Amino acid sequence: MNLNTQFVFESKTKRLLIGGMALGVLSLLFIFLNDDEYHTRFWSTWLHNSVFFSGIAFTAMFFLSGEITAFAGWNSVVKRVWEAMSQFMWVGIILMALIVAGVWGHLHHLYHWNTPGITDPANPIYDRIIAGKSGFLNPVWYTVGTVGFLAIWYFWAKNLRQASIDQDTMETADFKYYKKQRKWAASFLPIGGFLSAAFLWLSLMSIDPHWYSTMFAWYSMVSVWLGAISLTVILIIYLKSLGHLEYVTQNHLHDIGKFLFGISVFWTYLWFDQFMLIWYANNGEETIYFWERMNHYPVLYWGNLLLNFVTPFLILMRNDTKRKFGTMFFVALIVFFGHWWDYFYMIKPGVRIAAHEATELAEGKHHSQKEEAKMPASHPAEAPADTSHTTAAPAHGETSHDASATHEEPTPVHSTEKETHGTEGDAAGHHHEEVDESKSFKLGYSIPGLDDIGVLIGFLSLFLYFFFGQLSKASLVPLKDPFLDESLHHDTGALIEGEGGGGHH
Amino acid sequence: MASNSKKVLYGLYTDEEDLKSAVKTAGQSHLDIMDVYTPFPVHGLDPILGLKESRLHYLGFIYGAIGASFGFLAMSWIFTRDWPVMFGGKPYWAVPAFIPITFEMTVLFAAWGMTITFYTICGMWPGVKAKTLDDRITDDKFCVAFDVTDASDADVDNLKGFFTKTKAAEVNVKNI
Repeated sequence: MNLNTQFVFESKTKRLLIGGMALGVLSLLFIFLNDDEYHTRFWSTWLHNSVFFSGIAFTAMFFLSGEITAFAGWNSVVKRVWEAMSQFMWVGIILMALIVAGVWGHLHHLYHWNTPGITDPANPIYDRIIAGKSGFLNPVWYTVGTVGFLAIWYFWAKNLRQASIDQDTMETADFKYYKKQRKWAASFLPIGGFLSAAFLWLSLMSIDPHWYSTMFAWYSMVSVWLGAISLTVILIIYLKSLGHLEYVTQNHLHDIGKFLFGISVFWTYLWFDQFMLIWYANNGEETIYFWERMNHYPVLYWGNLLLNFVTPFLILMRNDTKRKFGTMFFVALIVFFGHWWDYFYMIKPGVRIAAHEATELAEGKHHSQKEEAKMPASHPAEAPADTSHTTAAPAHGETSHDASATHEEPTPVHSTEKETHGTEGDAAGHHHEEVDESKSFKLGYSIPGLDDIGVLIGFLSLFLYFFFGQLSKASLVPLKDPFLDESLHHDTGALIEGEGGGGHH
Repeated sequence: MASNSKKVLYGLYTDEEDLKSAVKTAGQSHLDIMDVYTPFPVHGLDPILGLKESRLHYLGFIYGAIGASFGFLAMSWIFTRDWPVMFGGKPYWAVPAFIPITFEMTVLFAAWGMTITFYTICGMWPGVKAKTLDDRITDDKFCVAFDVTDASDADVDNLKGFFTKTKAAEVNVKNI
């Protein structure tokens, strides 16, 4: 067996990726300079990409662990790709640490629950719902749940990879390292499975702190899992184009393609179910989430379905498309971008509402409404912009919507607003007329702008730089893996015309 | 029904690799194999046999599409025209609530449609007696069968020679 097993991270590729990172930095700088007073776009863009790429590293580890636990044999030749991807969690810790620092230092207004005084009943901005959740939604839990959990996962990923690399150098064939890998992989499944839900509740779902969905953790984790699968396809095809991984055949691609197809359908199931459960229950605090997104962000909302369901479903439904490198590369690119788009959709509308309301309150636009909502007269108008974190804290729109008045039907905007006025006293004076301008189209929120794409390229370059570095540190194929022989002879048994099976007499 | 009865000459092999090389040899000698029976799916056998990709899944797609439209249109008609009932303040034409049932109807129609089609093509109906050449082909033997109903003696001898050449463990004739 003569396998070309060493990947060399060439300086040409390095320069290209450093260029990509520089583009990312420039785009971030551009966003920062053209931002609102809270730098909402900058922080939310950073959060978006950090969670997305950390999540890809996590799901690569989770996917690999599941395969090892399930005695998968086909995957041996592509195992090192996932091992290298999972190591990126180490960088993810640093990326998320910036957001955590922002939470502690009140540098951003991403998380409304982090507003000082919001849990204090004596404070005019007191929010009963957030106070009720403050046992979980607080900076300590946020730190543990993002950076801390990533560190735990990274510990497992590092040990799994180490056991796999040690296996390459063992003198006599035995199952010692294989058993070690199984232990790390099997124990990671419950740890990763349970902790990832809390990770996503804290980092993404708490952007809309009044809103909750039991489907959310599933939904967002599957979304980023597809990011990892599609990136795997892209990277395998890229590595093959360089002459590596020549033993990865159409049959391996076919199996990854089935995952790409099947998990895309699973994502759609969650996408729809999250919506349908909330639509059916028609609970105002929950429906507002979709009401906002469907009415004010229709391109994001429906584009999500087009990119992540319609495209992979229709293209990958056939047997033969999953076996064509060109088609798979094309679909993987769309799905990768689609799930980045999905995270954009989860984050941007929520942070925009929060920041917009904070700005408005700071500008003192809310006098009459505040009195209506029994606010102390001393409260408004005296808040200068720089102290807005302590004073400018209206609840997110959610609480003031009454359940019966939140329409999923496309009723005219104005009539709906009248109906949804101040029906809940504890929402510290939320007002709809002023939110009107937030409904207009804004690049960077309503759809990703070119600068957002620049940031995506920057983070992707960072990810790939780290990935290729890790990939070059070990053999591209686990040489002593007990399943390697099976993987090299993997055959899905698919019968495709025109592939030349050799038996047409 | 004598007209449906076939005279079959078949050879049994003890190993799947022997079977594969036998099928290859048959192809090279232009022998017309009636069928091959194996106890489990043998990877790589289909292309050697020259089998084409099944078209059953095209029908599956059509059945599924019929099920989806039938489910969706039936519910739309029932809940807006035939018997409109207001559920929980939802509109009569409550599309999100229809989707799970539309999905189920798609699966139901596709699954039943393909099953019935497959059984029809294979002539498998309740009460049909299985035409088994040899019980051991569901256990540990691999079988290559030729239809020799209209074959001359010379042809049969030629086929027997083929079985000897390809190391068949046993050669039998059976009317099914």
